[in-house]
Amino acid sequence: MNLTVKIGKMVMKNPVTTASGTFGYGQEYAEFVDLNCLGAVTVKGISREPRQGNTPPRIFETPCGMLNSIGLQNVGLEAFLKEKLPYLRGFDTNVIVNILGGTIKEYIELAEALDGRVDAIELNVSCPNVKKGGILFSSDEAIFRELIREVRKNVVNSTLIVKLSPSASSILSQARICEEEGADAISMINTIPAMAIDIESRRPRLSNIIGGLSGPAIRPIGVRMVWEVHKTVRIPIIGMGGIMTAGDALEYILAGATAVAIGTANFVDPTTTMKVLKGIEDYMRNHEIEDFSSLIGGLIWDREGR
Amino acid sequence: MSRLNRAEVLNNIPLTDREFILRLKLPPGSLSPMPGQFYLLRATNTFDPLLRRPFSAFRWSDEWVDFLISEKGKGTLVLKSLRPGDEIDLLGPAGNYFPPPSGDMKLLVVAGGIGIASVFSILREYNGDSVLFYGARSSDALLIRKDIEDFSGEVVLCTDDGSIGFKGSVVERLRLYINERTPEKAIVYACGPEAMITALKTYMKETGLRGYISLEERMACGVGACMGCVKNTSEGMKRVCIEGPVFPVEVL
Repeated sequence: MNLTVKIGKMVMKNPVTTASGTFGYGQEYAEFVDLNCLGAVTVKGISREPRQGNTPPRIFETPCGMLNSIGLQNVGLEAFLKEKLPYLRGFDTNVIVNILGGTIKEYIELAEALDGRVDAIELNVSCPNVKKGGILFSSDEAIFRELIREVRKNVVNSTLIVKLSPSASSILSQARICEEEGADAISMINTIPAMAIDIESRRPRLSNIIGGLSGPAIRPIGVRMVWEVHKTVRIPIIGMGGIMTAGDALEYILAGATAVAIGTANFVDPTTTMKVLKGIEDYMRNHEIEDFSSLIGGLIWDREGR
Repeated sequence: MSRLNRAEVLNNIPLTDREFILRLKLPPGSLSPMPGQFYLLRATNTFDPLLRRPFSAFRWSDEWVDFLISEKGKGTLVLKSLRPGDEIDLLGPAGNYFPPPSGDMKLLVVAGGIGIASVFSILREYNGDSVLFYGARSSDALLIRKDIEDFSGEVVLCTDDGSIGFKGSVVERLRLYINERTPEKAIVYACGPEAMITALKTYMKETGLRGYISLEERMACGVGACMGCVKNTSEGMKRVCIEGPVFPVEVL
């Protein structure tokens, strides 16, 4: 059975990775998961300087999902390179580093510092939590294009992935821009901006008022968007959004994802990544599929419906 | 020994309409908790409720651990309906713990409402001359009074409505106690609702009283990855699940 997939220059031994922000810097989950068995570890978003993040409360559970407004709390580039990356490099897995900045210059500096030292760089252009951050880049197509173009110039040795937001005015148009500007891959979907209210106190549940909705509640939206983007561009897609089981992952794969990322499910069951991987293998065995890549975009459909 | 296990429900005893004590069988060879540590419980395979729920280890033996839980929403309702023989997911022990007292210190244990669940084990596990200040709205909300009397040197009950004990807050009562007795070497261990914590913090900082407070925050991963459960401290944002739940009062 061959589970190998290729995302840009990065060869993954299997199509399972983690969603940024849900797996810490890998170490937090090493007690539950053999990191060597993951296709890649995608770490928490890194900014040039350390960030304190938003004031708590930062999370709230909603039906089949959760809101978060962490505000991109992270250790910053220097501490990541010194304290977190060497640990991850001790494992036989790819390292994908999600990066975020307030200016194009910041993104470029991060890309320069990480290029060649990590397997892939994932551009966070769509995090809805920090007012001066991601949302501005993904909500203006000219700036979005310029950002990818400038970062691409500085990512020579690593694979460049752009993470798309489901709240972009046109995700298809953004996917086309990614392809035109030479991004190696797209990851999608980021969380969906959402809100919950405590009716007794009449106050928002999160101190940031708005947070990102994740979890199984958003999965059908993610699957639909991956399907649409898969029909539009040729670069590979890392599908994510509410994957709890191997079946959920296979929906994304049949819709067109080359690889999948497990996010919120890590919180529910820290061993989800391994269960998803095993479930994909079982599915391939049961369906006598030798090569995983034959499943990608394998949805059977016709234009008249179904 | 993994901290992630399946655990059998040994019993589930209602105390009031809302509060109950859930006893889980600890897998053989598993680590025992320390006072103030917690576990993350998940009792369903469906996605609503979705996340594990954190609860302090209330009391334990080598074979089992008890949780004193108040029904607050969907997650706790599922736990309340568990029956002996049911199996649930257990992750823990997690977090730090109340540091044991050194030398012969007076242990001033302060609990508000369901906060007793986090500090009760101090009375069982740590040696020392202890006083428990235990407060709630009214006498019927003061739980497990018999067990408390078995373990605490001295128990001071407080109620908002005066239905039993001192009429007023545990912090007011603590202040009276300190003023009267002026213990030379004392350490506070506390857990309770936000209003109590705020008042206690202010009082302890005013008087230079030393001690530790266990904090509560909504939690997702419970393993230090998601940054969801942080509290703002004088040393920056700290994760309740890893750097907490117990914090020295001076950083709060």
